[in-house]
Amino acid sequence: MCKECGCGQNNGNTRLQFITEGYTEESAKTVEKALLGLPGVMYVHIHWHEGETTIDYNPSKTKMTEIIKVFSDNGLEAGL
Amino acid sequence: MEVKVMQDVLGENDKIAESIHDKLAAHGIFVMNLLGSPGSGKTTLLERTLEKLAKEMKIAVIEGDLFTSKDADRIAKHGAEVIQVNTSGGCHLEAPMIEKALSDIDWQSMDMLVIENVGNLVCPAEFALGEQAKVTVLSITEGNDKPMKYPLIFKESSLAILNKVDLLPYTDFSVEEAVEDITTIHPGASVLSVSARTGEGLDAWLDWLRAQVKKAKEAAR
Ligand SMILES: Nc1nc2c(ncn2[C@@H]2O[C@H](COP(=O)(O)OP(=O)(O)OP(=O)(O)O)[C@@H](O)[C@H]2O)c(=O)[nH]1
Ligand SMILES: [Mg+2]
Repeated sequence: MCKECGCGQNNGNTRLQFITEGYTEESAKTVEKALLGLPGVMYVHIHWHEGETTIDYNPSKTKMTEIIKVFSDNGLEAGL
Repeated sequence: MEVKVMQDVLGENDKIAESIHDKLAAHGIFVMNLLGSPGSGKTTLLERTLEKLAKEMKIAVIEGDLFTSKDADRIAKHGAEVIQVNTSGGCHLEAPMIEKALSDIDWQSMDMLVIENVGNLVCPAEFALGEQAKVTVLSITEGNDKPMKYPLIFKESSLAILNKVDLLPYTDFSVEEAVEDITTIHPGASVLSVSARTGEGLDAWLDWLRAQVKKAKEAAR
């Protein structure tokens, strides 16, 4: 929703923060791109060195299993 | 408590939007929700579009603005039936406003209905108006960071138009980067580069519109 004026949806976004081990610079980019392409995912930030992963998403549009699948597809495990 | 009320408002909006969608789609009318920042060039693009397409098809336009009928006055000069909706300060159009405006338009005889939303990259993206497609106009002077900063509107839009490409030599804007970012946020979205000032790229846009109008007609058969 628009937090400024309060219009729109309230069941808005959830922020996930976790550590994923084993990123390479390249796989971090691939994961970021794949996540951003999912319907409710608005923001992704990955520090590939530390594995720090932040995802802002709308749980009513994309299921957690779809997010986890992006990691497993890239040979990674999301340490939720 | 307040939370509940707002969800109801949106649910109500979606219901009315759906009934508008079904009603106009059944008549084979292509309905487009035209979005973008203030000044991105929505009305200018529409003016250029009407100059070309008003001879081929019947187009109605609903203009959304907080105040004034400035945009409707511009559109009225180009042979389209036009209605100005004023939101009196509201940051976006809502489906009931469209329903009301439709009662003043001979929409049954139209091939296309264009709704120019209030200039805003945030709020209008949340409110369906009964459209078959959302189209976002991003002018290149707004900068390359906009798709990633305002992802929802690009996720919702089947087409993004990069406008004002005549100004490319004076900016650091990269069309390639914009296409990359927009299609990352919305895989499958189309992106077109145009200049509503010089007419560059306009043909591809007109062809896209013609294809949508044809598709809407065929779907209604
Ligand atoms: N150089 C250049 N200027 C443009 C182009 N398209 C629009 N403009 C100018 O940009 C300004 C804003 O254009 P509008 O069409 O009014 O923008 P809008 O998106 O309808 O704005 P709002 O309705 O207020 O949200 C006007 O001065 C236009 O002449 C373009 O392709 N190139
Ligand atoms: Mg305008």
